[in-house]
Amino acid sequence: MSGRILEINKRNVQILENGSGPPLLYLHGFADVHSVKESWLPFHERLAEHARVIAPAHPGCARTDEDKDIDTIEDIVFHYLEVLDSAKLSHFDLVGTCVGGWIAAELAARHPEKIRKLVLIGATGLFVQGALIGDVFMNAQPEYGSSYASLRQMLFSSANHPIALELFPDGKGELEDEVRRYQMLRLSSRIGFKPPYFYNHSLKNRLHRITPPTLVIWGEHDRMVPRVHGETYAERIPDAKLIIIPAAGHSAHAEKPDETAKLIGEFLKQ
Amino acid sequence: MKPVQLFCWHFMAYPYLDKDFDEKEYTGWVTVPNRLWDNGKTRGLYQEYIDQLAYADELGFDGMVLNEHHQNIYGLMPSPNLIAAALTQCTARGKIVILGNLLPLHLNPMRVAEEYAMLDQMSDGRLIAGFAPGGGPETFNYDVPSANTREKFWEAADLIVRSWTEDGPFAHEGRYFPLRYVNLWPKPRQKPFPPVWIPGSRSPSTMIEVAKRGYCYFLSSRSHGGETHRAQQEFADVLEKHGDKYHPFRFGILMSTYVAETDQQARAECEEGVWYFLKNCLKGHLRREGRQLTYGPGVPYIPAAAWREYLKGYQPGRKLLGDVENWQELDASQSIIVGSPETVTRRIKTLIEKAKVGNLLIQFQLGNMPDPLARKSMKLFAEKVAPALRDASLTQFRKEYPDLNLESPKEAIQ
Repeated sequence: MSGRILEINKRNVQILENGSGPPLLYLHGFADVHSVKESWLPFHERLAEHARVIAPAHPGCARTDEDKDIDTIEDIVFHYLEVLDSAKLSHFDLVGTCVGGWIAAELAARHPEKIRKLVLIGATGLFVQGALIGDVFMNAQPEYGSSYASLRQMLFSSANHPIALELFPDGKGELEDEVRRYQMLRLSSRIGFKPPYFYNHSLKNRLHRITPPTLVIWGEHDRMVPRVHGETYAERIPDAKLIIIPAAGHSAHAEKPDETAKLIGEFLKQ
Repeated sequence: MKPVQLFCWHFMAYPYLDKDFDEKEYTGWVTVPNRLWDNGKTRGLYQEYIDQLAYADELGFDGMVLNEHHQNIYGLMPSPNLIAAALTQCTARGKIVILGNLLPLHLNPMRVAEEYAMLDQMSDGRLIAGFAPGGGPETFNYDVPSANTREKFWEAADLIVRSWTEDGPFAHEGRYFPLRYVNLWPKPRQKPFPPVWIPGSRSPSTMIEVAKRGYCYFLSSRSHGGETHRAQQEFADVLEKHGDKYHPFRFGILMSTYVAETDQQARAECEEGVWYFLKNCLKGHLRREGRQLTYGPGVPYIPAAAWREYLKGYQPGRKLLGDVENWQELDASQSIIVGSPETVTRRIKTLIEKAKVGNLLIQFQLGNMPDPLARKSMKLFAEKVAPALRDASLTQFRKEYPDLNLESPKEAIQ
């Protein structure tokens, strides 16, 4: 694992890199590198067997500086255009989970020419009538004094899954891990707390512009982003297929790291 | 110099919950099911509460206090300004304190500026204008994203005061509330503008912003008890750093009390209302049971560095006010002071002595406390507690703040 700090418009952006081979930009979600742990999760180690994984922390997350002017997804997309220029990434594979998946889809709709292949895992970003994205914020408020069971229930297949308990423990976890989780919620509240709740109404009608081959991965029991969102991504993106990971929740990559990384590895090789 | 100012605060709780509410329902806030609203029993409820406040005015309290809450059983005042309007018509003397309008929940701060100006005119200059950002539950009521709430709040507060003091029309070129034509009709009665109070729960950043603007800081936490004087000291230090000087009328606190003829009688009479308040009204707010919405990572309104500092001292699962299990624990929390006039006088006197606080905002009606008991307690307080507190505080303040001249506008409560 190696890390570096890029300075972009006088703000620091923390980037972790792992593996070798063709570049793969990885945009994180909640149960993920930068937002729960400082180090890679097993999933990213597996992924790095197939590519050079480049994972920036979102603005305000981990050691990336906060940007008070971020109000909308558009602001984050432009932030990443600057990151791409600065990191000299002009053609790359793009993988995003949850909020990171939304950012990835927005980037791909605007700049399909930059992206070789696209992978979306439990991505937010779409408005689907009758299938509201879950309220991660209310679920992040403690129950019974110190329980985060309902947050784990939303982000994983079960509140008691060992990975869920490790990444989102009850009570008070390790201080810096707690701060990372908080930072991710704070960044997310800028773009997902008020309506539009983690979606961009216009995105659905732009998905046909995403020309690179796309793999949409969804956990069978995703309780944060209903599966119909995955189906909509797969229907609207011209060259896309949807794969459901059995017995996984919203954070399929964290719960089924080998299976998920293998699927992505094969897809990137095809 | 003036003595301690005694205000009567009414939260207007929903008092008709069944006895098994706590057992059956998960929360009293935001998602508390509104099928529980009993339209038969609630007929006349607002009138009863307004009449209690008018009674406080008759009894010689220095003012009446209202605040804004939404979708909960703790306080049925989504719009305190409506109740304030009623009070302008049925009271003639006391201040009308609104603590406050939750600025980030309003579409445009100018509406607050206008309504406050109307209330100040309608009450002939009796308004004390409170601005509050709202806490966790309010964030969920109206989907107010947390990360920029504080910035948004101060922009709104500053725009309102500017609209009261600067001739219009002018353009406000704000980040959150840009407006081409700010031109307030009516202007407020009081000059240069109504006193502004800002609630906080000891966060240094709020104290600093209050100090910069010369406003009054109001401690809104419910279980400050023995910590009250520490908050006072913190605020005094912040004022000092900003070239200003603390005096008792720059500071206010929230407290609850019940007074009866004897200690025993007081406890017997208020206990039902107190437990209703603690177990039902605080469920979802200051209780561990169910989901606590007031503070936590899901409402990330403080910067990450401040959150890190908070976490260092945070004890997960610690008891909150609503988690007290018996009367002794409640008594020790000093949040609700119950007893005979002598007991209540002694305890509040000690508090004023230690905390040098000039504004006591006192809740009398608690939970489902019946109207006659609330009124009896208010009357006993006004007749047998207030005079002693006024005498003692006047002596104390004269001694501790000999140079304070409240006549000059600069030193008056702002």
